[in-house]
Amino acid sequence: MRTRTLKMEPVVFHTLNSLFMIVIAIVTLYPFLNTLAISLNAGNDTIRGGIYLLPRVWTDQNYRAVFAGGTIYHAFWISVARTVLATVLSLFLTSMLAYAISRKEYVFRKPITIVVVMTMYFNAGLIPSYFLIRDLHLLNNFLVYIIPGLISAFNMIVIRTYIQTLPEGLIESAKIDGAGDFRTFISIILPLCQPVLATVALFVAVGQWNAWFDTFLYASSKQDLSTLQYELMKLLSSSMLSNSNAAVSSGADPGAARNMVTPMSIRAAITIVASLPILVVYPFLQRYFVHGMQLGSVKE
Amino acid sequence: MMAGTPEVIPSKKAEAKVESKSSFVKRMSGQKQLMLMSLPILLYVFVFSYYPIWGWTMAFQNYKPARSFGQQEWVGLKHFKFLFSDDTFLMVLRNTIGMSVINMVLGFATAIIFAILLNEIKQKLFKRSIQTISYLPHFLSWIIVTGIVANSLSVDSGIVNVLLMKLGFINEPIMWLSEPKYFWGIVGASHVWKEVGWNAIIYLAAITSIDPSLYEAAEIDGANRYQKMLFVTLPGIKSIVIILFIMNLGWILDAGFEVQYLLGNGVVVDWSQTIDIFVLKYGLQIGNYSLATAAGIFKTVVSITLIFAANTIAKRFGEDRLI
Amino acid sequence: MGIQTKKKLWGSMSLVLALSIALVGCSDNNGGNGATTNSTSNNGSGEVAEETKPITLSAFISTPNQAPTSDNRIYKKIKDELGVSLNMEFLVGDLQQKLGVMIAGGDYPDLITADTKLVAAGAVIPLEELIEEHAPNLKKHYAKAWNKMKDSSDGHIYWLPNYGVVTGEPKFNSYSGPAFWIQKDILKEAGYPTPKTLDDYTKLIRDYAAKHPTIDGQPTIGYTTLAFDWRTFPLLNAPEHLTGHPNDGGVVVDDGVASVFADKEISKRYYKELNALYNEGLMDKEAFIQNYDQYLAKLSSGRVLGMFDQHWNFQPAEDTLVAQGKIGKTYVGFPLVYDTSIKDWYLEQPVPNLNNGFGISVDAKDPVRIIKFLDALMDEKYQKLLNWGEEGVDYMVGDDGKFYRTPEQRKQQEDPTWKLANRADAFLGALPKMEGTFSDGNATSAGLQPQEFYESLKPEDKELLDAYGHKTWTDFFSTPPENNVFYPAWQIDLIEGSDASIANKQMSDASLKYLPKAITAKSAEFDAAWNEYVEAYKKINVKAYEDRINEQIQWRIQNWTSGE
Repeated sequence: MRTRTLKMEPVVFHTLNSLFMIVIAIVTLYPFLNTLAISLNAGNDTIRGGIYLLPRVWTDQNYRAVFAGGTIYHAFWISVARTVLATVLSLFLTSMLAYAISRKEYVFRKPITIVVVMTMYFNAGLIPSYFLIRDLHLLNNFLVYIIPGLISAFNMIVIRTYIQTLPEGLIESAKIDGAGDFRTFISIILPLCQPVLATVALFVAVGQWNAWFDTFLYASSKQDLSTLQYELMKLLSSSMLSNSNAAVSSGADPGAARNMVTPMSIRAAITIVASLPILVVYPFLQRYFVHGMQLGSVKE
Repeated sequence: MMAGTPEVIPSKKAEAKVESKSSFVKRMSGQKQLMLMSLPILLYVFVFSYYPIWGWTMAFQNYKPARSFGQQEWVGLKHFKFLFSDDTFLMVLRNTIGMSVINMVLGFATAIIFAILLNEIKQKLFKRSIQTISYLPHFLSWIIVTGIVANSLSVDSGIVNVLLMKLGFINEPIMWLSEPKYFWGIVGASHVWKEVGWNAIIYLAAITSIDPSLYEAAEIDGANRYQKMLFVTLPGIKSIVIILFIMNLGWILDAGFEVQYLLGNGVVVDWSQTIDIFVLKYGLQIGNYSLATAAGIFKTVVSITLIFAANTIAKRFGEDRLI
Repeated sequence: MGIQTKKKLWGSMSLVLALSIALVGCSDNNGGNGATTNSTSNNGSGEVAEETKPITLSAFISTPNQAPTSDNRIYKKIKDELGVSLNMEFLVGDLQQKLGVMIAGGDYPDLITADTKLVAAGAVIPLEELIEEHAPNLKKHYAKAWNKMKDSSDGHIYWLPNYGVVTGEPKFNSYSGPAFWIQKDILKEAGYPTPKTLDDYTKLIRDYAAKHPTIDGQPTIGYTTLAFDWRTFPLLNAPEHLTGHPNDGGVVVDDGVASVFADKEISKRYYKELNALYNEGLMDKEAFIQNYDQYLAKLSSGRVLGMFDQHWNFQPAEDTLVAQGKIGKTYVGFPLVYDTSIKDWYLEQPVPNLNNGFGISVDAKDPVRIIKFLDALMDEKYQKLLNWGEEGVDYMVGDDGKFYRTPEQRKQQEDPTWKLANRADAFLGALPKMEGTFSDGNATSAGLQPQEFYESLKPEDKELLDAYGHKTWTDFFSTPPENNVFYPAWQIDLIEGSDASIANKQMSDASLKYLPKAITAKSAEFDAAWNEYVEAYKKINVKAYEDRINEQIQWRIQNWTSGE
C-alpha cells in the first residue's frame, strides 16, 4: 500500500501542482494583460468599459503621448544611473553591516542590531527630513537619490538571517587560514550569499526605479535631475488636469474630438513603459534565486 | 582580526557568557575589522534616521511650517487627546489591526505555500515563467488593481458574480463592496493577488540555501515528497519566516490607505477606514502636521513594543530572533 | 460657464483638478507681423520696450501641467518681445506636502500660485501699490474686483485672480455647471417638454423607463449619482439648487445668514424622492459604491436616463457617446426646483476666482519688473496671442472682422503634442486674463465665439435647440440676478486645522455614510433612517462651521460693498 502511493504520487502531484501553477499564472497575468490592452486602446473608447484582454479600438496614441514631451529620454538615463549606483552601493554596505552583526562574538552586535532595526518603525516626518537634506546640501543634487536610502534595516536583517543559516564551519576555516573579517566577508560570504544578494538587489533596484517622491521633494526644480518615474507622474497628473480642463473650460475649442487620451489610458501606457525595463533585467537576477546555485560548488 | 586571537571561538556559549570589563575591552580590541565594517554605517544611520527625530516635537506643538522652532506654539498632549478621544479613532484602530492581521496571515501563508510548491516544479523554463508572471502585479499601482477588483465585483456583469451564478452558488448578484462584512476579506484577497509572487521571492532565495544533502538523507530515510516539504524545506526557511513575521508584526498599524480609500465608500466606511486614512483626512489634508506626527509616535510606540515582545517570545521558544 | 464650475469643487480634496482651468489659448507662429503692428497701436504701452533686458523668472504653478517644449513658439515670442524667460515648475503629487516643505525651507520662486498657507507664512508681498504705480492694465482689469481681492486677514492684495473677471459682453454658449441632466432621446420622444420641477423630471424618467425597460439590450438605469473620492457633489449639492439658491457649497444663505442644509427638510425632500426611485427599481443600485470610472462607463453605455451632476464632471462620457454616434443618449441640463414658485439660480454671474492666480514671492529680486511683465501680458495684443494664437496661422479673420478657425486649425488645437510646442496653456492658466469680448467685438477665446460654438453642434443638437427655440445650452437656464456681495460662500477659507474645517470633514463623512442608508431603505423605513442621519449631524460641531462662514459673510458685506 505504501509503495503504491509512492509510485502514484509523483504523477498526481506533478499534474495537480502544474495545474495549480497555471491557474496562478492566469490570475496574475490578467491584470497586466488588461493594462496592456487598455494602453493600446483609444482613450475615449476605454471609458465605455469592457476592455479585457484585447484592445477594441487600436491606437498608439497613448504611447505617443508618453513620449511626446521628449524629456523622458534623459530622465530614463538618470533613473538607470541612480538605480545601478544605489543598488551596488547599498548592497555592499548593507551586506557588510549584516555580516558584522551576524558574528556572534562581536561586542556591538546587539546594540547595532537594535539601533538599525528600530529605524523601520519610526518616521521623523517630511519637514525634518527636508531640513536634513537641505543642510547636507543635497537639494537638487544627484546624490540625493543615492545617499539617504543606502541602508535598509529590512534588507540587512534578511541578509543577516541568510548568513546565519550558512555552515559556521566555513567561516571558522577561513579564519584558521588567516583571513580577517573583511577578507572573509569578501571572499567567502559574498559569493555564498548570491541568492539573497540577488533578492535584495531586486528589492533595492525596484525601489529605486519606482521612486519619484524624492525627486518631487528634493530635486523638482532641476529638470536635468528628473527621473523617469517623475516624468511619468507629471504626465499622469497633467492628463488628469487637461481632461477636466477640456471639459470645464468654456473657452476651450468646442466640438473637436476631445479626450482621445484619457487619464486611464495614459496610466496604462505609463505602467507598461515603467515596468518594461525591469522585466528585461529580471531574468538575470532570477536565475540566482529560482534555480539557486548549488551550495556545494562554492563550499569546497 | 588576526588568526590565533584566542577569544575568537564563535559558539552559542560565548554570547551568554558573563564577561568582565577587561575581557570586553580585550574582545573589542580584537574586533577592529568588524568595528570598521559597522560603526561608520551606524553613524550614517544616526544622521539619516535618528537625527531628524527632533521633528517629533511637532506632536506637542501647533506646528506651523513658517515659524522657526522658537516661535512654535506648544500645546502639550492636545493632539494625542484629540486622537484618543475621537470615537472614530477606536474604530479605525480596529479596522487597521483587523486588516493587517488578515493581510499578514494570508500574505505569509500564500507566499510560503506558493514558494514551496513552485520549488517542486522541476521543469526549468516552466518554473521561471510562472515565477516571472506571478510577480507582475506588483508593478501595477493600486489604482489599477482596485479598478479591476471593483469591476470584477460589480453586480453589473462582474466576473465574480457571473461565475458564482453559473456555478449555482448564488441566485442573484451580490453587491460585494457595499457589504461591510466582506470588506476586509476583499482587501486581503487583493493584497494576495498583487503581492503573492513578489513576497515569495524571498522564500525562494531561502530555499536555495538548504543543503541538498538533507534531501538526500531524507530520501534514504524513506521520506516522500510531502514529508520532504514538511520536514526539510519548511524547517529550512523557518528562520527567515520567523524573522519576517516579527518584523511584520511591527507594522501591524500600517494597513495602508490606498486600497481602502479606493475600494471603500460611504456605505462601508465604518469598516474600511484605517489609521492612515484618518490621519490623512484630519491631519495632512488640512495642513495639521502635528496630528500626523502624534499618530506617527503612537504607531512607533506600538510597533516597538510589539517587536520586542515577539522577540522575547521567540527567544523563550528557542527560535531565531530579530534582535 | 467655465468660471462657475470651478467652485463646485469647494471643500473637495481635488487640489489638482480644481484650480486651473486653462482657458485654452492658441498658438502663434513667428509669421504674424500683422498682429504685432496692430496691437502696438492700440495699447500704447511704450514702456515695455525700455524694460526688456533679459531676465529669467522662476514660477511654481500648483496645477499639474506638462512642461512646454524648449522651442515653444509662444514662450519664445514672449521672450523675444518682453525679454522674459520662464522657468516653471508644475505640481506633481500632493500640493500640501510641496507647500509644507517649501514654506518650512523658506525658499520661494519669483511667481507662485495662490494658497492661503503662503499668506499666513509671509511668503508673498502685497501687490496693491505695485499695481497702482506700474500696472495700468491690471488696475483697469481688476477695478471691479479690487476690494474682493483684499485678504480678509490684513486687507492686502496678494493674488491676481486668474478667472472670473469679465470684460466686454461675454456670451456663454455651453454650460458646464450643475443641473439635472436628462437624455435627449427622452425629450424627443416626449415632444420636447420643459421639466421645471423635480416631479416633472422624475415623471419623464419614470415614463420612459416603463416604455424602455432595456437600452441596447441592457437594463435601463433611471437615475444615478456619484460619491467617489472628492467627487461627492453629485450626491450632496442638489438640494440647494432645488430651493432656488445659488451654489454656496455646503450652506444656503438667506438674508445674509448661512446655514447648513444637508440635514434639513429641504434635503430630506430630495432624498426621499431618490428613495422612492430606489424602491421602484429606477435608482442605480450601485450608485453609492461605484468609482468614477464605473460611473463614466455606465453613462457612456447610454442606459442612464438622468442624474444630477456638473457637466464637466461627466463630459468624458458624453465625448464617448458622441464618438459612438449616440447623440440621442447625450444630455440636456435643466434647472429644476421643488415647485414653480421658486426661481432657478443654477446659472450665475461670474465671480472672481479669489485666492487663485499668481502672487509675487518675498524672494523675487525685481517685483517691479515682474508686475510690469504681467501687466504687459494683460494687453489685448498678448491676450489674443495667448488665447487665439496668431492670425493666419492659428485663426483667420473674416471679412466682418470676426475671428474663426478653419477645420484644420481646430483639429490642431486638440493635438496635445502640438500644443506643447505651440501654446502657452500652462502659464496662461494661472495668469490674469480677459474673459468675454475684446474691444473689436471678438470673443476672448474660441469657445466663447458664437460662430465657433454653432459649428460644433451636431444636427441632432441643432434640431433639439430649434425645437425649444434656443440658441445655446445656457438658454435653458434663467438669466442670473446680480450676485450677493458676499457670494460665493464656498470660497471662504475655513482655516486649516480649525474646528470649522474639522466639522466640514465630519459633515461630509456623515453624509456619505448615512444618505445611502436612507436612500436604499424600504419606503416605510426612510424616516427612521433619516432621523439617524440627523442625529449623527447633531454630534458634529456644525455651529463652528456656520459661525466661521457667517463671520466672513459679515466681513465681506462690510468690506466689499464699496467696490461694487
